[in-house]
Amino acid sequence: MLKREEVVDRLNHIFRDIFDDDDICVTDNTAAADIEGWDSLAHITLILGVEREFRMKMTAAEVGSLKNVGQMIDLIVARG
Amino acid sequence: MKKESRPADEIALVRQLIAEGSYEQALALLRSQVAPAEDFSVQAKAARLVSKIPASALGKPVRVALLASSTLDQFSDLLKLWLAFEGFAAEIWIASFDTMHAQVLDKDSELYRFQPDVIWLFNTHRDVRIEVALGDTSGVGAAVAAAVAGRTSLWNALKANCSAAILDNNADIPVSDVLGNFAGQAAWSRRNLLRRFNLELAAAAPSGVTIVDFEHLSSEYGKRGWVDRRYWYHSKHAINFQAQGAVAFVGARTIGAMKGLAKKCVVLDLDNTLWGGVIGDDGIEGIRLGVGADGEAYVDIQLWARSLKERGIILAVCSKNEHDIAKDAFERHPDMQLKFDDIAVFRANWENKADNIRYIAETLNIGLDSLVFVDDNPVERNLVRQNLRMVAVPELPEDPAEYLSAIEAELYFETVSFSHEDTERSGFYRDNAARAAQMATFTDQGEYLTYLDQAAEAGDLDRVNLARMAQLVNKSNQFNLTTIRYTESELIHLAAETGSRVRYYRLTDRYGDNGLISVVVLKKIGQDVLEVDLWVMSCRVLARTMEEFIFNDIVEVARTLGCGVVLGRFRPTAKNKLVARLYERLGLTKVSESAEETVWQLALDSDLGARKTYVAAAHVKHGELADA
Repeated sequence: MLKREEVVDRLNHIFRDIFDDDDICVTDNTAAADIEGWDSLAHITLILGVEREFRMKMTAAEVGSLKNVGQMIDLIVARG
Repeated sequence: MKKESRPADEIALVRQLIAEGSYEQALALLRSQVAPAEDFSVQAKAARLVSKIPASALGKPVRVALLASSTLDQFSDLLKLWLAFEGFAAEIWIASFDTMHAQVLDKDSELYRFQPDVIWLFNTHRDVRIEVALGDTSGVGAAVAAAVAGRTSLWNALKANCSAAILDNNADIPVSDVLGNFAGQAAWSRRNLLRRFNLELAAAAPSGVTIVDFEHLSSEYGKRGWVDRRYWYHSKHAINFQAQGAVAFVGARTIGAMKGLAKKCVVLDLDNTLWGGVIGDDGIEGIRLGVGADGEAYVDIQLWARSLKERGIILAVCSKNEHDIAKDAFERHPDMQLKFDDIAVFRANWENKADNIRYIAETLNIGLDSLVFVDDNPVERNLVRQNLRMVAVPELPEDPAEYLSAIEAELYFETVSFSHEDTERSGFYRDNAARAAQMATFTDQGEYLTYLDQAAEAGDLDRVNLARMAQLVNKSNQFNLTTIRYTESELIHLAAETGSRVRYYRLTDRYGDNGLISVVVLKKIGQDVLEVDLWVMSCRVLARTMEEFIFNDIVEVARTLGCGVVLGRFRPTAKNKLVARLYERLGLTKVSESAEETVWQLALDSDLGARKTYVAAAHVKHGELADA
């Protein structure tokens, strides 16, 4: 099973890449409002990046329901 | 194709090059790292990098409007990326979700205010409404016709309201069907209705409308994966993100083809490219062609080249070989599909390939950026890439069985029209070689031109010639005074304006028909001036006094329109130096000069009479455009 710290580490890479900001450090509480550019469009790019990185697929409902990074990590860990 | 791993440092290098302002290098490096089938995340990242490059460094501006009842924001980013690779700085406008009809039908809509060069009606099978009751075979024809009529009415409205080029998608037939296999048999099944719709849509498309073959693209991608239903339900994305790069690539290549960027000539290596083995060592009996698995693959490669030639792509050969030995294979090997005559320029020697390719381009009078170089040898490929950046050099896999799919994946030869001239182009170039040989026997140019027995036909734009005229306007780079591009619909609009003329010229001679070789657009400015807005001519007929013939015709038109002055401009580009002094040679006087353009004029009352030409008038028509 994936460790949360490892997931956070890999997520940070994806976030920094997509939002073009090398200083991003996500936590469980990080939500769309905390990151500049995290709108509904970027959200999909983000989900696709996560699906690719962790070789997993989210359901249609999950794509729409993730409220913060913590939920994202829960999902990744549960699937991993 | 062999896929190198893509180290992060390549991307870091791209980032650094962009930061330094080395945009051209950054784009080239990025292009080498990203294929249309590449993962969406990688392409999205490339798109983000390219968005940091200023538009002025990306190339020619192009304005593209996208209209759909699906979400296209991510697709738009990829389209911008692939247009950048194609040499365009794209500005893309996306209509609000599902407003296609309103935007198209209202002539004051945002769509028209955006002033697009290209309008892409991004339809999918979901937008094709055909109502036929189960089992109602007799209702099929009318129902499909009604659906097609819905599209043609949109096209007609677009054409009436603006002169943008139009792209429209046919139906990507979905895999799911309650009838199962029987859907393939019943005329009224959704599957067969869409098949019929696609055929009739294609038949209904007028000039100026290009159908993007979504049905083919979805099949090529794999229909099971083409739609990711999760993202249809979640956010109305009609195509899987992983397939969007390939669609954007086709779109960009198609727009490129409209603007004259498609390739015109394939330069082929011989040993291990057109046959297996080395002709100089193995001899005609020893090379592998026609027999054995790879021998059959080489036959297919030759057949492919021959069909390219038949559709108007010029073939040339560039090989390290003894000329006579290489030629002998073409003439004596029983399984050769290509004949020596199929090759417009044959260079088999020991000089370096970059020089040979330069020679080929010069001989054919086409730009290096019109060439594709096909060679199995990675050393030769790299040499050409490094020395001739403009030449397209596809990476080839080791196995000749896979050559064709690798080359075809690059979509070098996209076209949005097909004219009679295309089928004859190779013949034109071969006839030119015959003329060149004949010319060598004359010491006097005038004698030679008299011997050629040339006759030209001039006429105003008409339906028959429209496709070829637009093609010439958009493809000519060298003999092109102003490098203004017009689409077919723009040409029709121009021709219909009072005081404008859109004229073509065809030339025949002793050796045959040269086809439609020149187009001019003339505009009356005020009461007295006729401006040559655009003048393009095929370089095949240079130095034949055709320019003089055409200018005499322009003067005639000016007189007919009651003008006293003919005005011409020369706008320099990287490619049109050839005509920098054309107006001077024709007897015009320079009025002004700047970095952007030189302006020339001729006052007809002080004109010394018609320019000397060896081209006789075959048939000169001066008429209004009736119904093009």
